[in-house]
Amino acid sequence: MQYSILMLFFVLAALLVGIFLYVFLSSRQSNGQLTGMANALQKRFWFVLILFSILAIFASVTIPKSPYFLFSGEQPSKVVYVAARQFYYVMSYQAIDPASPTGESSIELNTNELVEFRVTSLDVNHGFAIYSPHNELIAQTQAMPGYVNRLRWKFSEPGLYTVYCLEYCGMAHQAMKTTITVK
Amino acid sequence: METTRFNKITSLWIITVLVLFVVAITLGIIMRLNQSELITVSPITFYTDMTVHGLTMIGIWFVAGMAAVNFIMERYVKTSHGVNVFAYVMTVVGVLLLWASTFFGRFHAGWTFLYPLPFKVMWKSWATPTFYFSLAVLGVGWLVWCLSLVSSLLKKYSLKEVFAWQHFSKNPKTETPPFVLIAMISLVGIITCLLAAVILLVLTFAEYYSKGSFVNDALLMKNLTYFFGHTIANEMLYLGLAILYELFSEISGRPKWKTTWYVALAWNFTLIFILTAFFHHLYMDFVQPEGFQIIGQIASYSASLPAAGVTVFSVIVAVYRTKINWSLANLLFFLGVTGWVIGGIGAVIDATISNNFILHNTLWVPAHFHTYNALGNVLFSLAFFQWFSAKYGGGSQRWSKVVLWLLLIGGIGFLTAFYIGGADSIPRRYSSYPEVFATAKTLAAFGALFATVYLSGVLVFFVNISKRCLKILLQRS
Ligand code: HEM
Ligand SMILES: [Cu+2]
Repeated sequence: MQYSILMLFFVLAALLVGIFLYVFLSSRQSNGQLTGMANALQKRFWFVLILFSILAIFASVTIPKSPYFLFSGEQPSKVVYVAARQFYYVMSYQAIDPASPTGESSIELNTNELVEFRVTSLDVNHGFAIYSPHNELIAQTQAMPGYVNRLRWKFSEPGLYTVYCLEYCGMAHQAMKTTITVK
Repeated sequence: METTRFNKITSLWIITVLVLFVVAITLGIIMRLNQSELITVSPITFYTDMTVHGLTMIGIWFVAGMAAVNFIMERYVKTSHGVNVFAYVMTVVGVLLLWASTFFGRFHAGWTFLYPLPFKVMWKSWATPTFYFSLAVLGVGWLVWCLSLVSSLLKKYSLKEVFAWQHFSKNPKTETPPFVLIAMISLVGIITCLLAAVILLVLTFAEYYSKGSFVNDALLMKNLTYFFGHTIANEMLYLGLAILYELFSEISGRPKWKTTWYVALAWNFTLIFILTAFFHHLYMDFVQPEGFQIIGQIASYSASLPAAGVTVFSVIVAVYRTKINWSLANLLFFLGVTGWVIGGIGAVIDATISNNFILHNTLWVPAHFHTYNALGNVLFSLAFFQWFSAKYGGGSQRWSKVVLWLLLIGGIGFLTAFYIGGADSIPRRYSSYPEVFATAKTLAAFGALFATVYLSGVLVFFVNISKRCLKILLQRS
């Protein structure tokens, strides 16, 4: 997924470089007799209209795919409670008591079951980002003190998933991680 | 007399900005080198450098835009030289305090100092209050500066004129110069976000000194943080555009740009979009009301319409098949617009909630914002520096092609490493990378190498420009 986004970006960037280069060269070749762009206002109008339509289509396609609406009509078959703190995660199948947070030694989930992660933090803001066995970021939410973010996900592939912290949380931020096993 | 005073303070701003720029880039290269493991610094040093780099960069390109806008504004209205000097002193004092709290106090909560991280003291205990105090000094200096410029504008232009609303009627009797309109729109945005920063600071101090009896709400604080941080980072780019609207045609030897109804409309809309787009920083906070999330995406998309349809299109119309006296200054403007648009595409992609789900806080984020800074807004300011120093300091222009190529090649290489890193899911703000991120170290080394090329371009530019600016400073008035 990330790579198709990167390709889209590179194609659009190359297109723009081409346009700007073309415009620049047209100016360099101009000997003073060329008279700029004809009907500029009309072209501007069409340009804005086309851009508007593209963006409107993009928005209406992508907004329904937002993570807030993922599996919203279904009942999760498993709930995993997550409490993040500097610089580790506590994860449990039961609600976690902030006064004495204890969790499972390992979390095991099944493929194709709907899991709801209820993610919070016991100190500063942290991230909760799930990376696939191929180390690709597939889903994430924030861990914020005083709030519980609910992330619903279905794992399609068995393997060892790694959770990384993606919100800067202090000097050991880069070492904050845990794992989830999917069978 | 009057002009030489303004020339001098402007020269001082330029030299200061460029010196700090060189320092901040060096910190950036150190970060990239550490991530590549070619050198090793402790995580605390890395995060301290990161905090200083981010805040210094935001600070200097903000004041660079302000100094340029202030200088050009003298063409239209009388501005206060005293306030300009005051802002300079506050900026220098603020930066020194900031560096003290970070380099000596080891404060390292990142440039966004997201609540409640600054309260979890992992540094000298005096560093937290000193850090916030430095922000207060900068904030006061800048707020006074903005308010003073707005009041200068309002002495000459009515409220309706300064926002160019008369251009919505058929035959406007007066014309608001585009520079005045854009400067005003930007200043209003900046004042709004600085006020949000004041609230943020007050809430922070309240908690800090209440010793636990008053505790803030983390979601509210995050909203305030990004309302401030996102907005200031965007508005400084608009300051650069105000300069472009004024100088691009002038340097190119073309007729001056005029305000038309669509220019007025675009910039008035920009003000609204820019103040609501910050919601895209909270997409991954699922507890934020969904309405705000969707407003975030729509506002972020909408902001690109006036930008592309009016500003970018106008630059293209101005250049296409038109004879132009190309020089370093207008080439920097033209390249800056290209970089700005490309960074904008990276931003729109990331401002799409379903993409943000897999890009948020990966290297994609520094990729896109460095694009419209290092190859966008910075180039607008450099263009102004070049134009100003050549016009008032004289001297021949040397090495300009070299400067352009070094900035361009260095910038593109440095940014490409970030974009690929983002696509490889590599997290941002990691002092070193876990082994499983196979490409991370190589990309970091690649980024450091090209950033050094960029830095050498900046150094050549710096030598040329500061020689002229020193000459202006030392002139007898
Ligand atoms: C060639 C010059 C530059 C280099 C080598 C550089 C390098 C870096 C690096 C390595 C990072 C950390 C990335 C990470 O999260 O892993 C960073 C972050 C950042 N840079 Fe730059 N940068 C440069 C120019 C700029 C410019 C022109 C700006 C202007 C605004 C800027 C603003 C920032 C900000 C705001 C951050 C975020 C700091 C944070 O996460 O707290 N940088 N830069
Ligand atoms: Cu963390």
